[in-house]
Parts: sequence; C-alpha cells; structure tokens
Amino acid sequence: MPILDFLLPKNAKKQKVILLGSGALSIGQAGEFDYSGSQAVKALEEEGLEVTIINPNIASVQTNKGLNKRVYLYPITPFWVEKIIKIEKPTAIISSFGGQTSLNCVIGLAKKGILDKYSVKVLGTQVDALEISEDRKLFAEKMKSINAPIAESHAVSTVSEALKTAEKIGYPVITRSAFALGGLGSGLSETATELRKLTQTALMSSPQVLIEKSLHGWKEIEYEVMRDKSGNTITICNMENFDPMGIHTGDSVVVAPCQTINNIENNMLRDTAIKIAQSLDIVGECNVQYALNPKDYSFYVIEINARLSRSSALASKATGYPIAYIAAKIVIGFDLLELKNPVTGTTSAFYEPSLDYVTLKVPRWDLDKFSEVSKNLGTQMKSVGEVMAIGRSFCEVLQKALRMVNENEDGITVNVFKNTSDEILEKELLTPTNLRIFAIYETFKRGKTLDYVYEKTKIDYWFLSHVLYLANVETELLDFFKPKVKKDNITAQEIYNSYKLITKDKLQRLKSKGFSDFQLTKIYLSACLNSKIKLTIKEVRSLSFSIRELRKKLGILPFVKQIDTTSSEYPTKSNYLYLTYNSIHSDLFTKKNEKSIITLGSGSYRIGSSLEFDWCSVMASGYFKNKKNDSVIINCNPETVSTDYNASDRLYFEELSFERVLDIVDIEDPKGVIACMGGQNPNNLIQPLSEAKVNILGHSQKSVDKAEDREKFSAMLDDLGIDQPEWISAVSLSDIEGFIKRVGFPVLIRPSFVLSGTLMNAANDQESLDYYLSLTKDISADSPVVISKFILDAKEIECDGIAKDGEVILSLISEHIENAGVHSGDATMVFPAQKIYVHTVNVIRDIVREITKGLNLNGPFNIQFIAKDNDVKVIECNARASRSFPFISKVSGINLAELACKVMNDEKVKKILIDESEIHHIGVKASMFSFQRLDGADPVVGVEMASTGEVGCLGEKFNHALLLSMESTQVKRPKKGILLSTGREKDKVKFMEVVDNLYKLAVPIYATKGSAKYLKSRGYEVNTVHWNRSPRAVDVISGGKVDFVININKNLSVDELHDNSEIRKMAVKCGCSILTNLEKVIAYLKACDSYEELQDIENCISL
Amino acid sequence: MSAKKRILTRAKECKKAYLELSNGIKFEGSSIGANVSVSGEMVFNTGMLGYSEAMTDPSYLGQILVFSFCLIGNYGIPSYKNKDFFMSKGHESSSIKTQGIIVSDIYDGCHHHDGGISLENWMRDQDVPGIAGIDTRYLVQIIRDNGSIFGKIVSEDAKPQDKSKFEFLRNFNNSEYVDPSKYNLMPSISTPRKVTMGNGSKKVAIVDCGAKLNIMRMLVERGCEVELLPWDSDFSEIQCDGWIISNGPGDPENTGGLVESIKKHVLVSGKPILGICLGHQLLSLASGAKTKRLNHGHRSHNQPVFSIPEKKAYMTSQNHRYAVEKNSIQPDWELWFENANDDSVEGIKHKTKPFMSVQFHPEASSGPNDTAWIMDKFVNLL
Repeated sequence: MPILDFLLPKNAKKQKVILLGSGALSIGQAGEFDYSGSQAVKALEEEGLEVTIINPNIASVQTNKGLNKRVYLYPITPFWVEKIIKIEKPTAIISSFGGQTSLNCVIGLAKKGILDKYSVKVLGTQVDALEISEDRKLFAEKMKSINAPIAESHAVSTVSEALKTAEKIGYPVITRSAFALGGLGSGLSETATELRKLTQTALMSSPQVLIEKSLHGWKEIEYEVMRDKSGNTITICNMENFDPMGIHTGDSVVVAPCQTINNIENNMLRDTAIKIAQSLDIVGECNVQYALNPKDYSFYVIEINARLSRSSALASKATGYPIAYIAAKIVIGFDLLELKNPVTGTTSAFYEPSLDYVTLKVPRWDLDKFSEVSKNLGTQMKSVGEVMAIGRSFCEVLQKALRMVNENEDGITVNVFKNTSDEILEKELLTPTNLRIFAIYETFKRGKTLDYVYEKTKIDYWFLSHVLYLANVETELLDFFKPKVKKDNITAQEIYNSYKLITKDKLQRLKSKGFSDFQLTKIYLSACLNSKIKLTIKEVRSLSFSIRELRKKLGILPFVKQIDTTSSEYPTKSNYLYLTYNSIHSDLFTKKNEKSIITLGSGSYRIGSSLEFDWCSVMASGYFKNKKNDSVIINCNPETVSTDYNASDRLYFEELSFERVLDIVDIEDPKGVIACMGGQNPNNLIQPLSEAKVNILGHSQKSVDKAEDREKFSAMLDDLGIDQPEWISAVSLSDIEGFIKRVGFPVLIRPSFVLSGTLMNAANDQESLDYYLSLTKDISADSPVVISKFILDAKEIECDGIAKDGEVILSLISEHIENAGVHSGDATMVFPAQKIYVHTVNVIRDIVREITKGLNLNGPFNIQFIAKDNDVKVIECNARASRSFPFISKVSGINLAELACKVMNDEKVKKILIDESEIHHIGVKASMFSFQRLDGADPVVGVEMASTGEVGCLGEKFNHALLLSMESTQVKRPKKGILLSTGREKDKVKFMEVVDNLYKLAVPIYATKGSAKYLKSRGYEVNTVHWNRSPRAVDVISGGKVDFVININKNLSVDELHDNSEIRKMAVKCGCSILTNLEKVIAYLKACDSYEELQDIENCISL
Repeated sequence: MSAKKRILTRAKECKKAYLELSNGIKFEGSSIGANVSVSGEMVFNTGMLGYSEAMTDPSYLGQILVFSFCLIGNYGIPSYKNKDFFMSKGHESSSIKTQGIIVSDIYDGCHHHDGGISLENWMRDQDVPGIAGIDTRYLVQIIRDNGSIFGKIVSEDAKPQDKSKFEFLRNFNNSEYVDPSKYNLMPSISTPRKVTMGNGSKKVAIVDCGAKLNIMRMLVERGCEVELLPWDSDFSEIQCDGWIISNGPGDPENTGGLVESIKKHVLVSGKPILGICLGHQLLSLASGAKTKRLNHGHRSHNQPVFSIPEKKAYMTSQNHRYAVEKNSIQPDWELWFENANDDSVEGIKHKTKPFMSVQFHPEASSGPNDTAWIMDKFVNLL
C-alpha cells in the first residue's frame, strides 16, 4: 500500500492533514511557497486526504476554498496552530511546503510537546533532522561524521568569541546567523572592526552566529535531492550561480543545469548530496548548496534546506519535474517507483530530468524604491522577485532574462553605464550591485579583456565570454551601420533595408543570440540617429515592426519547443512550452477544438505587483480551462502558480514583451488575449497589441487609454462633474510656482518615468519641494512632473468591481485605516468598510456608475477615492483587476476574477446586488515590509509603495481581524517596552484618545522629549529619552529595553524625516515591531483591548 | 579564442557542413573539428555532461553521436596528466571513437582548471569532424521515431576519412550508409596484445571488447591486478580469480567466436564473472539466452533500474542498442535488474554460481556512480 496506514480513511471518514503556508511575502520568502503548497494540496487531495491550510496570505492560490480543504487565515505560530489542531483534529502535519516560517513553527510545536499532546504526526523529514539542518553546529558535526567537507567554521554567541575565532581562521571571514531565512545578519568582514559591527547586529536577532572562512571567488552550486522512505534517491537538477560565492543565491543570476563544471565535479557533488540526504533520513525534498574551488577538485558543503525552497521551485520550472507534487506524494508514503513522471505520463518518477535547453534565472531588485538603501549585493538577500528564461544558447537566455526582468525591452544593450567613467565602471565590477551585468557589458564594449573582467569579478570565463560576444556583436553592428553623418530622422523602410543588407544568415544568427527586434532597432538608431533626438518607447517599437516584417519575409521565425524532462528520448504530450530561434522545427502539441484564449501573467514579482496578480491570472486561466476554451498562459516568473503547467492547457514560459506575445499570437491564432488580470505589466501591452490588430478581451484599448491618460481621465471627470484633487502636469518650474500659489502646500510630486521606476514624494513646504525636485533629472515637455494637491486628514476608500458594456455588474467598497497619503499598496484595508457614512457610500456608488459608463468599461476595475466629511474626490481608476481582488473575493465569497472572465468571454451575467453589511466576517488586509533585509532603508510608509507582501485575516469583530493581521505581519504585542514619539501637536492630542490603552499594555513606556513632556503634563509616567544625550533613543532600542516602536512623523519635511529615521532604522535592525502611522497606531492600540478575548477564542474562522 | 569570434565575420570563417540522413532528410550547420567526411549509425545521448568520456567510449565505434543537450564543449577536454595507460579521468580510451558528433552550440574555448585543450582543437588533432548549429532536439526525435537511421557528415572539400584508423572502416564506402553492427567490430576495438596493470593479491582477467578505462581504474583502486585480454585470446590458458567481460560496440551476435569461447572457457571455470553492457549480452548469449535490437536503445545518464531482490532503484549510465530478451533467461539464472521505464532486462544473476551481469555501467564515467557497489560486490567475491 503506497499511502501510510494512519492516513487511510477511518470509518469511511477521510483523514485530515495540516499543511502550513509561509505567510506574507517578504524578501527571502516569496511566491515560490504558494506554488509548492498548491502542488502539495493537489497531490494530497488526489489520495483522499482532507487538507487544512493555515496561511494568512489571502492572495495565494493555496488559500482558495476547496471541496476537501479547510482554509484558516491565521498567523503561522504554535499558538494558533494548536487552536486549529484542537478544532480539526488532524492526523498529521506537513512542515516542508511553507518555507522557513512553517519549518520553525513545526519545530516549535514539537518542542512545546503540542504534537505529542494531540498525537499529530510530522510527515516527511522528522523534526530531529530538521533541527540538524537548522543548527549550524549540529550540522557541522553531522557533515564531519559522513566525511562531507565543510568550511572551517565556529558557532559563537558573543562578539569577543567571534573576534578570537576570526584571528584563528584568518580574515576575510563570513558571518552567518542561525535560524534565519535569506541570510539575515550575514556578511563579509575583512577587518576586526567590520566583524565587531556585524556580529553585534547579528546577535540581536539570533542567539548564535557562525564565523566561517571566506570562499570569495569560488563557484556556488546547488543540487535538488528527492528521497523516499525506502531510501531511493535522485537529484532533480543542479544549478550554478553566475556570480561566485559571496552573493546570496537569491540575489545571484543562476543557470540550470550547471555549465562550467565537468562530469567528475558533477558526480562528486551529486554523490555527496545523496550521502547527506541519506544521513539525515530525508523523506521528500532537500537542497544542498556547495562552494566549489575553481582551481582544483576541492569543495565545501555550505548548507542544506530540508524542505521545499526557492531553488526547488526554480528547479521544477527549469526541468518540468514537479518537485513539490512528487515530494507531497512521498511524504504520505509513496515510493518514487510507485509514481509516474507526470510530464511523460508513462515513465517512472524515479528519474533525473535531462534537459536539451538551458535556463537562466535573474533576480529583480527594487532597491530604487528605497532612497537610502545600499545597492551593494552580498550575503543578505535583497531581491523581491525573479524571472527565468529558457532557450537553446546561453546568449539567448541571457538576453531574454534581462529583458524579462526590467519590463523595458532593452535588455543587456540598455547602456546604463554609457556615460560612466572607467574608474567608476571598475568599481562596479569590484563591488557587485544589482547592475553589475550591465557594467560588465559596458566594460567589454570599451575593449577590456576577459582576463581583466575575470580578475575584478571572479565570474567564470565561460559566462564572461558570452557577455563579451554580445558586446562585440553590438560594437560590430554599430560599426557596420555607422553613416558618414548622423540623421535627424530615420524611417522604418531604412531600417528594413539596412538589416536586409546584413543577409539572412546573419540576421538569423543575431536572433539566435537573443537580440530582439526592439534592440536591433535601438542599435541601428544609436548608430545612425542624431543623439540629440530621443524617441519614445512607442516610436522605437513602431519602427521595430519593420524588422519583424523583414524576418517574416525571410522566414526567420522562432519555433516552439516542449519541456519534457527526457530531451525527447520518449514522446510527450507536454503542454509546457518555450520559443527559440536555435531551431528549425516546432514540436507538435495538441490543441482543443475551440480557439484559444491567452492570459498574460504578471512577470516578475516586484514591489507593487505580486502574488495577487498571479492569483488573478490563475483564476482566469483556470476559468477558461474548465470551460471548453483552450486556455493559454504566457508568463516568465518561476515562483508562480500560473507557470505550473497544470494551471492552463498550454503554458508558454516566455517574455511578456510586445514582440514575443505577437509571436505567440501568430502561432496560436487565438480568440483573444486577456491583459487586464496580470497587473500593470501586461496592461501596458494593450495599446501596442491592439494597434497590431490583436483582439484584446475585456476593456477596449480606448477605455484603458482614457482611464490611464491623466489629461483624458481628468477631462472626463470634469465633464461628469466628478470632483478630483487639483493637479497639473508641470513642464517648467514656473508652472509649479503658479500651482502652489493657487492651491498651497502640501503637494504630491510625481516625476516622469525614469529607468529605476517612479519616485513619488509628498512635500510640505518649499524646502522639501526643492529637495524632491532636485532628485528628478529635469523638467521639460518631454519629462513633465505631475503635481497634485495633497489632501490631509482624509479617508481613502476603494471600490473594486466588474462592469459589462459600461454597466456596473458588481461593486464592493473597502476603506483604508490610514488616512490618504499612504500608498494603497501599503495601507491597511478593511472590508466591508466599517467607518464610512451611508451618504458617502451612496455618493461613491453614483460616481462608480458614472465612471464605468463614461469609460465604457467592460471587465474588472478598481477606483480609488478620498473622502473628507461627505466630500468625495476620485484619485484614480484602474481599468484592470487590482491588488485587492483576492482579498475582496475571499471575504465576500464572490470570485471577482471569475466574474470578470465571464464578462470578458461575453457570457450572460446578471447584476449582483450585495448588501455588504450582511457579510459575516470582517476582513483586514495588512502589508508586510521587508525593511530588515534592506540595510539603510528608512522604514517609513508614505506615498511610494514599499511593502513586499500582504496578509488578510478574518474576525467576527474588526479588532480581532486587525490583531491577527498585525501579528501575521510581524507587529507583535509588546513584551519589553515601548518607545514613543507622537509627532505633531495635533497628533499628540489625537493620540490621547488611546493613551490609556497604551498603559494597559503594562510595559515600560519611553518617549522622546516632546512626547514625554506632553504625557507627563497630563499625569502619565514616562521615561524620557533624547537624541544626543543619555539616555539616547537609539540606545534604548539597541539595548533591548523596548521591542515596540511607535514613531509618528511631525511633518513631511526632509529634516524631520531624517531625525526620526535613526530611531526607525535601529528599530528595524533590532527586530522591533514598528508603527509609523497615527491612524494605524490608534486602531491597533484600541484593538489591543480585545487581545485577551481573541486569545481565548475557541472557534477559529475558516473559509 | 571565442573573444575574436565575430558575428558578421565568423559566418565567412566557418564552413558549412551537412548531415545527410538515410531517410532523405538533410540538416545544414557549420563544420566543427576536422574537415573530414564520415558516415555512421546515428545515435543520441541525453547526458548533459561528459562529452569527452562519451566520445572516447569504445562502445560508440562507428557511430555519429548527437548530443541532445544544447551547449557542448563548455569545460574543454581534460588534460592528459597521466602519461600511463589509464590517462586521466575524463578519457575512457586513448582516442576519440565516435565517427563524428552533432551539436547545437559548441564552446570553442577552455578555461576549466582540468581542461587541456578545447573540444574543437581536440577533434582537429584526432581528425574527427562534427557539425554545430543543428536543431538537436528535432534530430533526436527523427532518430527516436525511425529506430535505425544512418547519416553522413559532408562538407565542401572535406577529406575522406583515413581508413586505417579502425579495422572495420575497410568495409566502409563513403557513398553508402553503413550499419557498423553488420560487422564484427571486435578486431577494431579490442587490445591487440595482453596488457597487465595494477598489483594486488587478486587477479582479474578482462575480456576486452572495447573496455572503458574506468573499469580498470576501479579494479586497481580496489586492490586488483588486472589483465586486459584480446577478444580472441585462448581463455582456457588464463589464470585468474575472476572475469570481467567488458562493454563494447556492435551486435553481440556478430562477434566471431567470442560467445562460444566465453561459454567454453569462462563459464566453465566457475570463477566469479561480471558482464558489463556488451559483456552482459555476451554472457547472456553464452548462458543460452537471446538478445534483441531495441528501437533506439538507451544512451543517457538517467536510466532508472530496479533491483528486484533489493526492491531498490538506482540511477545508471547506459549506452546500448541491444538487450537481453526477458523470456529467454535460462532457468538457472534469474532477473536481477529491470528498467523502471520500459521493463527491459538490466541485469541477470546465476542462481547458484558467482556469475552476474548488468546492462548498465557500474563504472559510470560519465554518469552517476550509484551502482559502483557492484564492483565492490564483484571484488569481494574473488
């Protein structure tokens, strides 16, 4: 019997298994666990088990309701899991599909004896092995016992021990902290001073720090291992980091399979990986990381993860082998031999995939969103997302991946370092940042050698030689096209003729090396067009169409290949596809009779576009898959559920670029394309695709344009008599002056798009306005600055809904806890809204009706409002599915994404009238910030979005939902003490509303001077702290006297922000809970009244 | 060096080459390695690494090898550090045995610490041609779907192949598609004279049908004295503690009197015997079992085999077209290993005597070492 005895149905009743999720997305723990968890749920349900999911991440696919599934949106802590165990009485718990969070939780449950108490068995790898894998000292001992080499390393728990150890093993040394995800508190120290600083920080969040010999310049290599209870073991995939040791794997460019190691090295590392899995009695999946000496055959084991990981998700997508799905079958008792390889359907799951293509992962950083954060990469992970490219040459995947990750179409030829001096360029090579690959490219373009770049970067010659090759190609093309005199105007015909001159063979070669039509056009333009003339992306794109025409005429087209795990050794029906120019023949794949519907996914996760848009894409593709339509997905993000080939009838793991989507449209000849479910990234393609005569389902291009074009939208609102905050699009400083004179401060400043993304700021006075304007390059007709009136003390309200032919089908209203001014992606959202006047609701519904009519919307939308008293203004309208769709859907019980698909598919839908007051529970969506990973970032929330993830919790009372969502986003009830600074006089007064709640928490209160004085004058006892003299505010934090920091800005002036930022940064460094928004503080402190009541609750709410 | 490779000029430098298949399909690519025209049986290997091991593996004699993986040559060719018979790891015999190779993308450089020269230079040195720029996935599908298919590598002003290179080439006519398994390949590949290596208390005789060097390396590492014997030796005169019948190319039934002499002189000795790959087929034939030709065989590093007595699975490296017929296994022998994908015979064992043989390669190289324990098991029997 494959399935374990105790999991078999008892008295015809299915057995229950708890599966822990990973909570909110944060740096180091992102969407990959929704993919793993969703696959596990499928695998478990197939075997007749009932799954209980505990995960507050409401935007995840795994927290969707299901037939054999119960979903609890609760914090993943032993306390809450125990409560749910009491309710559900599960037979077993699975820890390995929810990242570090779930692993730590299960270790906690075991240590507290909770699992024994309720006889809940841990499935898969057992807790003692998990502990060995997590405790670096135990791990080192284990590795020694099986003769697996590990770098000389020592666990220390004090700074002086650390210094002594470093003396012994010699600098440079690496410090790593135990029990931490994403390498938190890790770093390289070249000197004792650096080490002292680093260990001090690390020891604050971890009891143990490891000091290791630095392996700078060694190759970093990983193996994914699968092992069943009988000991059958395979390695699914190996992966190699483009960047050598020293940069966190999560921040490294990663190639799979390994490219620069030979058969001897491969099997040496593979053998060790299998030996390690055996020694720890792994049942399921584990990942082993190595450092490999580039100069001889020596190596070290760096660490293992005895669970599914970011790398295992990547390996699944790279090979097609569904690691999490198979691992889930294994943990419930199957042997690998009892399972089939799901990709072939006929061969054994005991199989190591063979690839006939190469994949490349490139991380996505959003460091520009944080003004003060260091851009340097090191052993602490900073990236917020990733993409993966598949192709048949390294140049092809490198180019594809670099285009995928930055949603502009420039890729490696973007020329960010064109005007950089040689000295600075050299520094970029020596000190890696998120832009190093572009610096390498530029260095080669300036004629430097492979040896030169290798010496600076230690990146393997093999990788570098491909970058060099591409740089040479560009240089050569520039030479080839170079005219005698540059022109002021270039026509499409000229580009067509010039590339025709290159000859078919060479153009084919350029395409097979990954150059896009857009890039080729840009190269031509930079060779021939007067450099003073700047063309917009739209103009370049339109010129690039000439190369597409030329290619089609010459028959230079990409071909479709399947990912089949066997390199074609066996025939396959695989629906997992990619496109390549290194081919002359497409693999055959089956289509349904109906024409296909293509859903465009969201691309890389990033700040502002994350899991929630993958949820929307998965819902859309699932909807069409279940209908008789042929459902197709295009996406390039390996962390997602949408790139699980089960989510659609066909998955193109491809670029979401104009060129590539058109290629796929040419191949598919679809009924239509859905671009409004994957967030802004695919939404931006609506205009060019419509112009290329592609049928876009849902809103027309005209509607989208009218909603997105500020001028047009604003004019429409004026026509309809709908109020909006005053704004101008300033093309000169005098424009701005005039505007300020008219409306006064504060104002919002939004510069035009720059490569790094927008930097939006709020200015309170002339000084801060000048400062923020100085950050933007120039103000001109080409790059205007949008300035709008910033309305203080106003509520922000959102309406999510669906419209059909301009008529509202459904609209649901939610409110923010924070006043307007906090980006809607960072704000805490309440649904159904609790504190809006009935009149306001009515006004909003009227406005929604008029806007949908005015824009003639036909699909999903989201409209944002601000309301002060009964005065309602419209901020913006998104003619697409919004970030809050999964939250609103799950709380209301109406699946907005599916409803949107019905409308877009032209099916009959009835108007849904819903009385929001009849929704039983209150949902609170809160944002998760990853400031702890971003050294130097100021953890203040404002108009620019900074959060990396979100949770949504339910409660019968608002207070309960709020407390749960706060706990799930690491805002924990204070235990040691609170540091207070309450901002403006007005805020101090307002704060008095909750001051008694604060003191009820019964912990010492510290306050900065002004706040302390205010409290004392009203008879409250408080410890005063100072900026510059003892007791200093920052010392109180670093000394561990407080674990909760409330820090409200006085105003938006630059100085004020700087002063307080020291406190906030220290709070983040020391792992304190931190709140910086007054309304949120008030709501939280009020909710704390219900803390005991919530703790005593017996009935947790399930979906 | 690749640094000087230029896209607009390179096309001029690199000569076009064509792969003409016996079913009429013609592929165009660019010539790599030596400018020689060759013909051979088309086979593919899906291993992602180990091209130097594969190309020197004597079992590929007479074949044009297609690497399904798209990037070949990345780490160059391991240098010949050891001047002795064993050479260094990464080489399974002293020269390239494939007729030619077909790849998608070749890396013409060598930066690996253990790399002596680049793949292309090595091929030039040894007069072996190849074609790059081929859609190897498509080609693999053609080979897979056609079973037996033969090919020619041709290019403008290419030299004909030097026929003195291997004995069997004397039969090859450049204008024909030739099936190497129609010939007895043993004279071409077996050692012409007895070679002894290693020193130890136990002596192993290897019937050299094209033995991979790693078989010898592993035995010597395990303290054996190894005697490599020409295929047509008089085995009755050999004094040893055990026998290995090695891997090699071709049809096991087309090996002259080899099966007979194994039956008469090796089996009767009663000493431990291990058959590997072709050796497994020869031993099976000698035991009375039959062999058959598979559609396209197994050539990869990821063949799953299942040990029936142990109920355990292993990942193995394989390179064969012929297999033992399951229902022909003699009553005093038993099925030992089975392929987990297609149930074909992967190993048999004598029920009472110390005779065993495996279709896969316990010596790996290239591929996984998971079944190296079979060599231990064999040595322990001696």
